[in-house]
Amino acid sequence: MRAGDQAAYAVLVARYRARLGRYAVHMLGDRDDAEEALQDAFVRAYRSIARCQDDAKFGAWLFGILVNRCRTAGRRAARRQRMFVRDDASLARAAAAEQPEAPDWDITIRRALDRLAPALREAFLLKHVEELEYEAMAELTGAKVSALKMRVLRAREQLRALLSEVERV
Amino acid sequence: MTTIHRVSGLVLVAALLLARAASAQDPRLEHHLDSTTLAVVGALMDSARSAGLPVEPLVQRALEGTAKHAEPDRIIAAVRRLAGELGVARAALGRESSPAELDAGASALRAGVRPEDLTLLRQRRTQSLTVALAALTDLVTGGVPPDSAAAAVLALASRARDDQIADFRRAVERDIALGATPAAAAAVRVDATLREVAGAANSSNPSRKP
Amino acid sequence: MFEHDDDALNRMIDRLREPVEMDPRLDTRVMTRVASPGFGARAASAWEWLRRPRAVVISPITGLGLAAAIAVLVWFLPTRAPERGEPLASDVTAVQFVVVAPGAESVSLVGDFNDWDARLTPMCAVRDGRLWTVTIPLAAGRHRYAFLVNGARWLADPSAPRAQDDFGAPSSVVTVGG
Repeated sequence: MRAGDQAAYAVLVARYRARLGRYAVHMLGDRDDAEEALQDAFVRAYRSIARCQDDAKFGAWLFGILVNRCRTAGRRAARRQRMFVRDDASLARAAAAEQPEAPDWDITIRRALDRLAPALREAFLLKHVEELEYEAMAELTGAKVSALKMRVLRAREQLRALLSEVERV
Repeated sequence: MTTIHRVSGLVLVAALLLARAASAQDPRLEHHLDSTTLAVVGALMDSARSAGLPVEPLVQRALEGTAKHAEPDRIIAAVRRLAGELGVARAALGRESSPAELDAGASALRAGVRPEDLTLLRQRRTQSLTVALAALTDLVTGGVPPDSAAAAVLALASRARDDQIADFRRAVERDIALGATPAAAAAVRVDATLREVAGAANSSNPSRKP
Repeated sequence: MFEHDDDALNRMIDRLREPVEMDPRLDTRVMTRVASPGFGARAASAWEWLRRPRAVVISPITGLGLAAAIAVLVWFLPTRAPERGEPLASDVTAVQFVVVAPGAESVSLVGDFNDWDARLTPMCAVRDGRLWTVTIPLAAGRHRYAFLVNGARWLADPSAPRAQDDFGAPSSVVTVGG
């Protein structure tokens, strides 16, 4: 691996793509942004592979790079404004396709996650979706275990409240 | 007429004002497109994204245009056209289609394949349609009339593997290069492929009579 | 109420844990960037994997009425099985591109797998500079590409299907089975 065996790295990329992609998609809420962050993470990992001292910890180390990439992407997305050109010709053809009707539950989940502050969302996803131990989360994020536990607690409280609002409607 | 001009002017002003924001959408395009083109392409990408269409093919089409030093209007037209084709492909192939299938479906539509034939292909073939759609497109661009090409691929759809469909397409292309008429080449080769598929099925089931 | 609220939260977590499919073409984009000669000193040794000489067979079909430049895709040859080279991972395959371009000073493979950046995938001259070749990993799917000779002349692959052109310069397509 450290000899730069690209064939081996390609195998790793294929192996980790789905697992890391799940985190990036839920953290960023946008598939294109997630793919870009994931791509950047893989490329950066290859560049600095010598810093990964232990082959067995490669996955965790790569995940740490991705967490940082998602933080950067998240800040960039927050500054971005979108607009839609009323280009009727292309919109008409695109609109002729069935509009995406994600199940209501998925929309609810997405909106609830988006309402969380990024640090809370990050901690919640790492703990409950990626099922990491707090010590591993601390290594990935650079935050203390106590701070991470507080973030997860607050994320759960806010999500409960948000989900309750939806179910009352 | 006045209204149309007014709207167009607003669109242009809005596009220019948001050029900086649009430039944050894909850094690969930032370095290659002027701010106006970037804003329009970015807006087309946003519209496609909001419609649930894959955006990467649009980025790649724009990058292809810049690599080939195409005029901005031509790049915008190409991206707009592809966005429309992706939308029609998704309507024909279904919302669950993968980005690769949609990309291949858009190419097929561009070549002249009817949306109805894409829908039929989806109904007849349970595995990924990418290779089948690509073969269909390549047959048409190689000279086989769209109806003949669609009929051939649909005949193979439920039974042939991806590699068999790819081999079929290569065989048709060789026959055309050797002087066969495209429609005849497709008809002859599809029969041969169906016999091959049936033969393989029989040989794998010894109890079945040939 | 607490239990009811936790039910919704647990359902949310269960849903979030479900696998998310990512575009396998991402692998190709990663490996193309990684394989770029400009990647750095590490890339120079890593590049050796791609530069290993491979057998080149030119199909008789490509000799029919072709101009000076003939491009051959190894997987495209009638004598070969559909599997075209070493599968690198479950949905990434190594594909070798070869072009006959005698007298060329440089040839690049350019396409949607390297963001149409001619700097990323230069081809290597073999056979006294008459043949240019490169092998790259491609994800399953349909890829548009062309050869750029001497940084100025676009060349499609005469023996590969032609891509529909939007820009007045020829391109080809290759389909990698998934």
